[in-house]
Amino acid sequence: MKAVISGIGIISAAGFNLEQNLEALKNGKRNGGPVSAFSTILPYPVFEVNSLPEKCAEEGMRTRSLAFTALNEALDDAGLQAPLSGFRTGVCIGTTVASQLNDISFYTAFRKSGNADLKPVNLFLKGNLAESVACSLNASGPSVTVVNACSSGTDAIGIALSWLKTGLCDIAIAGGADEINRVPLCGFGSLGILSNSLCAPFDKNRSGLNLGEGAGILIIEREDFYIKRCGKPSLYLSGYGSFADAYHLTAPRPDGTGLESAIRKALSDAGVLQADICFVNAHGTGTLDNDKVEGSVLSRVFGNKIKFLSTKGYTGHTLGGAGGIEAVYTAAALKEGWIPSNAGFECKDDNIPITPVTENTDIKGSFALSTSLAFGGNNSAIVIERA
Amino acid sequence: MYISGIGIVFTRGRGIDSFEKALKEGWIEPSRTGSIPAYRVGQETLTDASLTKKMRRADRFSRMAVLSAVDACRDSGINVNERAELGIVLATAFGPHATTFSFIDDILDYGDTNVSPTKFSNSVHNAAASYVSAILENRGPTVTITQFKFAFQNALILAGSWIAEGRCDHVLCGCADELGTVMEYACKMKLNIAKEGKINPFAFSDTPVSVPGEGSVFIMLSKEKGLNNYGKATETSFPRNITGNPDLFVIDADGMSANETGYRDIIDYGSLIAGYSPVFGSMLTGSAFNFAAAALMLKNQIAYNCVFQDNPFGAKLCDETSAKNLNEIYCIKICRPEIKTIIKLQK
Repeated sequence: MKAVISGIGIISAAGFNLEQNLEALKNGKRNGGPVSAFSTILPYPVFEVNSLPEKCAEEGMRTRSLAFTALNEALDDAGLQAPLSGFRTGVCIGTTVASQLNDISFYTAFRKSGNADLKPVNLFLKGNLAESVACSLNASGPSVTVVNACSSGTDAIGIALSWLKTGLCDIAIAGGADEINRVPLCGFGSLGILSNSLCAPFDKNRSGLNLGEGAGILIIEREDFYIKRCGKPSLYLSGYGSFADAYHLTAPRPDGTGLESAIRKALSDAGVLQADICFVNAHGTGTLDNDKVEGSVLSRVFGNKIKFLSTKGYTGHTLGGAGGIEAVYTAAALKEGWIPSNAGFECKDDNIPITPVTENTDIKGSFALSTSLAFGGNNSAIVIERA
Repeated sequence: MYISGIGIVFTRGRGIDSFEKALKEGWIEPSRTGSIPAYRVGQETLTDASLTKKMRRADRFSRMAVLSAVDACRDSGINVNERAELGIVLATAFGPHATTFSFIDDILDYGDTNVSPTKFSNSVHNAAASYVSAILENRGPTVTITQFKFAFQNALILAGSWIAEGRCDHVLCGCADELGTVMEYACKMKLNIAKEGKINPFAFSDTPVSVPGEGSVFIMLSKEKGLNNYGKATETSFPRNITGNPDLFVIDADGMSANETGYRDIIDYGSLIAGYSPVFGSMLTGSAFNFAAAALMLKNQIAYNCVFQDNPFGAKLCDETSAKNLNEIYCIKICRPEIKTIIKLQK
């Protein structure tokens, strides 16, 4: 069974839809800047979505609003319209912030008096991403919100592939979404991995990551089902691999064997060889540890001539949304035949054997890989194929 | 897939033997140390000398998950650290929210720049599964999911997919949820709390009562029949209608849904009905505990007495603990009449 990617949708600091995103990437436009969503003394720049399309904007449910913006574009792209009650549809979406009841105003009131307005609790209970998307689409299949930290989006897409392969559904809505929030900003700040300037993935002088927000959603269908519905596919989701480091809560295993195993599993799942991969959309956060480990692993698996990049220089690190957003970019790049320059990269790091692309680069080939590494030692990779 | 091991942490202790003992003993008074009666997990349950070093930074939520996962492995007899083919799926409704609020305490008390990185990293939902994989030295796929309605059911579906497509030979599939102070407040305000501490699963009421609980259950699911075997989980589905006549229905009625009248429909099937929420408390992830009870009954061929038998609709309740020929059990959760799940278990 092959899985067709029939629709993609995206919103990020780089734009409200795929066209705007690709335009920003093509022009090297980086919309990072100071936090405006809340007040903080933290100086770290972030990548915020300036304003949401009106029809998707719901007060107090920013992650859900981002997810629905990308979902609507993806459904349009796939030629599908809600409700999807006539189909066997599963929903699998990754996030981090939307899974946590971390409303600071609510908690401040509760702390003071033991009493607080329950509106944020009610919104939280309405805001489970997969449940609310499934409900809005009248989807009758499995629905799962994946909370695997920064690999949530990639894992969500991989889980959707498992569902399709095992016949649990004909259509899967998959991806990730996350918002900028004060709690993770403080948390990442406390870990000392936020950069004071715009991030520079894989650069010698990189000094950390920038948080971002956004959503990336794929519509994935069983090939037989899609062919009956639409005809010839143009993109496939071909493989998924996930391995744990079993090492540390926040640092990647230095030897990178978890990531390497995840990549090799994704390749074998797709039935392709390393040489078949024409580029890698790397996790590339811009932290010292991540980029060093990831660069070494990519070099070990693919050799030193592999074309690769991180797109986090355009979106920031969108946490649970990152895997979804980067899968959308990977799919679009395969379709369009080019990848953007790795924003922020200037100097080669001698500790990283390979160098990312430094200009918009044409690509030839049918397969690409997108990777995610996460807190907790999760490593995940997916293979996308151009038909 | 075969059920080859069970680990459990709940209000009356740790381990499948404690759970079986509790099922036989029946109801006990919930604790009244907080703002509502609740089935809380005691601190003494969450210590384990053999894991002290590895869990030294783990919060309460992670400890519950780790101990039940480790016990499920031990119960199965499978040597997991030799197996890359072991997957881990942890489902939760609310995750480690108490640690999140403790982290927010730091923000409010000390400002944005003086917060604890350890608290932050433990507040992330997948920290617990990460502890589990590290302690078991397991490198297989490890996923944490969150749902309010059918968390455990979706975890089982994912575990089944991984086994069916050959991604894993075994999956440790479990749930964890804790009852922190803020969650107690939310429960107090949003649920109909049973003041006398008695959940009434068979009232099938449109205003059901609850006694919130906390804990964790992990189930070791295996492709092949192993040394230990509780039976098989043959299907997890979201049907419009329930079909079939199992020997026993185990229902998840516990007062967490606003309306439990949907359970009235299963009376007509004529099968024996049971539900064990009064033993462990009301939880959105309570299905995992009832699943553990069902698996135990299949293994032991014993049906456990239902604690409260207020039975206004004349359901055929399991009214004594006795040997029974049990070949098939359906675990049912109904949120609204049109939204239901069945987990089918066979001997």
